[in-house]
Amino acid sequence: MFRKVLVANRGEIAVRIIRALREFGISSIAVYSDADRASLAVRMADEAAHLGPAPSSESYLRIDKIIDAAKRHGAEAIHPGYGFLSENAEFAEACAAEGIVFIGPPPSAIRRMGSKTAARQVAIAAGAPVVPGTKEPLGEIQEAKRIAGEIGYPVLLKASAGGGGKGMRRVDREADLESALRDARSEALRAFRNDEVYVEKLVLEPRHIEIQVLGDHHGHMIHLGERECSIQRRHQKVIEECPSPVMLAHPELREKMGAAALKIARAAGYANAGTMEFLVDRDRNFYFLEMNTRLQVEHPVTELATSLDLVHWQLRIASGQPLTIRQEDVQWTGSAIECRIYAEDPGNNYLPSPGKITYLEQPSGPGIRLDSGVYSGWTVPLDYDPMLAKIAVWAPSREAAIERMRRALGEYVVEGIRTNIAWFDGILADECFRAGEFSTAFLDRFKPPAAPAADLETEAVAVLVASLKQAKSPAPAPAKSSAWLAIGRAEMMR
Amino acid sequence: MKLDAKVDGLAAKFESNGARFRYERNGEAVEREYSIAALAPGSFSVLIEGRSYSVVSVEGSIRVNGRPFAVEVFDPREMRGHSAGAFGEGRRNIASPMPGKVVRVLVSAGDAVEAGQGLVVVEAMKMQNEMKSPKAGKVVEVKAKADATVQAGEVLVVIE
Repeated sequence: MFRKVLVANRGEIAVRIIRALREFGISSIAVYSDADRASLAVRMADEAAHLGPAPSSESYLRIDKIIDAAKRHGAEAIHPGYGFLSENAEFAEACAAEGIVFIGPPPSAIRRMGSKTAARQVAIAAGAPVVPGTKEPLGEIQEAKRIAGEIGYPVLLKASAGGGGKGMRRVDREADLESALRDARSEALRAFRNDEVYVEKLVLEPRHIEIQVLGDHHGHMIHLGERECSIQRRHQKVIEECPSPVMLAHPELREKMGAAALKIARAAGYANAGTMEFLVDRDRNFYFLEMNTRLQVEHPVTELATSLDLVHWQLRIASGQPLTIRQEDVQWTGSAIECRIYAEDPGNNYLPSPGKITYLEQPSGPGIRLDSGVYSGWTVPLDYDPMLAKIAVWAPSREAAIERMRRALGEYVVEGIRTNIAWFDGILADECFRAGEFSTAFLDRFKPPAAPAADLETEAVAVLVASLKQAKSPAPAPAKSSAWLAIGRAEMMR
Repeated sequence: MKLDAKVDGLAAKFESNGARFRYERNGEAVEREYSIAALAPGSFSVLIEGRSYSVVSVEGSIRVNGRPFAVEVFDPREMRGHSAGAFGEGRRNIASPMPGKVVRVLVSAGDAVEAGQGLVVVEAMKMQNEMKSPKAGKVVEVKAKADATVQAGEVLVVIE
């Protein structure tokens, strides 16, 4: 096993990895930008290395500076976390060139699975299902009709050069194909100066379900089941679960999807921890989307449901040890749910809310796991992702886990910045969510319930406490509410 | 102690002698005996007839059992009045709703603008937000400079 490991990341995931290192008796080296000098990760690590100015392009994305820090501090290995350089094959190669172990897959596997189109080819070759369609541009209308007919309606026309919905058309029947193709092409031409359009099956009301895989460098690989990630806002996951409610009702789907994920991972020459993302339709057909060649943000729900520590296994595997768990040893118990806590204002179009945390109370008690990168007095920098922490809970049943999460969120108090903590309760109380009946469209339709009117006594308690400050201050001044509210009222933002 | 208050925008009256309070809003009133304990800076426990309230009060923000309240309290003996400031006379200050960095300035002083027209783009945490003009009018002043760091509430543009 390693004696010293550098953590090439920041925030809660740096803290998570430092904890695992300490549990293994391994010295940890944190890295930090100017904005993160006072971070929790720097304080918790055994050693810390400065990278540069706050922008990630000058700090956490600088391969040369990170390698240099690793050499100066004598690190034998680097854990990249998620984001930043975690899926960068060049970085993995640069580590290898310096004799430093990259805690992750081989660079060749990162390259192979890093591009969506290349990964799709690997999946097809491995015999795993992908969203039916072709990435080749469509030719004449007759050819388009033939291909769309084979795929089966409804289909989606997409611009080859596309993005942002431009040049995209849903087609429900063959009679509409010709005009839709013409519209999509002219829109694509205007938007991207390229009128190439391809066609794929439209997966209706899909769920986003992913499979965790774990493999060693001796040819042994297992899957650790699924994570349900359908609750997303603008493709950003906010709640994840293991098991998925689909698997609770149809356990055989876990076996099928697990087997497909393993086929793809083996074909890619994969090792260490990785995740296959799938779309699952209402009839439980599943289609491979892409692979994440790293530890996922939401890995704690898998850890809680399986009692396996993914970061521990990443370290063992990277140091050359064999994976000693057989597939039949993996057991899923109870239900785990995670909520991602963001510095954002759900009441004001989810605007980011960086700033100083002036007050913090964190949830604890039975079944609660908090992975946090913040403390009271920490100034959340405006330079990075707004995720502050993840709360994960475990309970014997999904219903109990939902109630436990609501209890935990109720104990969580963050002041000084806005967060989405209170926003989750409306989702967790929603009938469709509780029934496990939802798709990736859930949050598009979700309307947070209005807060019930406070009773007069509760309101009086608020004024009572406000009056204490009034009594203390020599020159009475209005105890102003948040500047945010005042500005929000000015209606300048849409 | 007698105070005027504004709670979530509604006027209210509050009176307390340290062990008993009377609170009145919209013609409804409650009168209760209470005990209060300060637990830590910003953290209070209030007991009323055995009912427990956990209160967090930091920099003007007040939460009772997790529920946020916008509370302002005034001593009625003090003269007071909201100054209209730059918001009066049809002038509108366009302020940054969050700390961030100015990415682009889309208008110059003297420009005529439509309601909803983009004025300045501010970025924080990888998210860009376009400040829009709240009304049709003329740009009086542009305080925002590209690449400058701004605080929440900092005025970027003045519209008339």
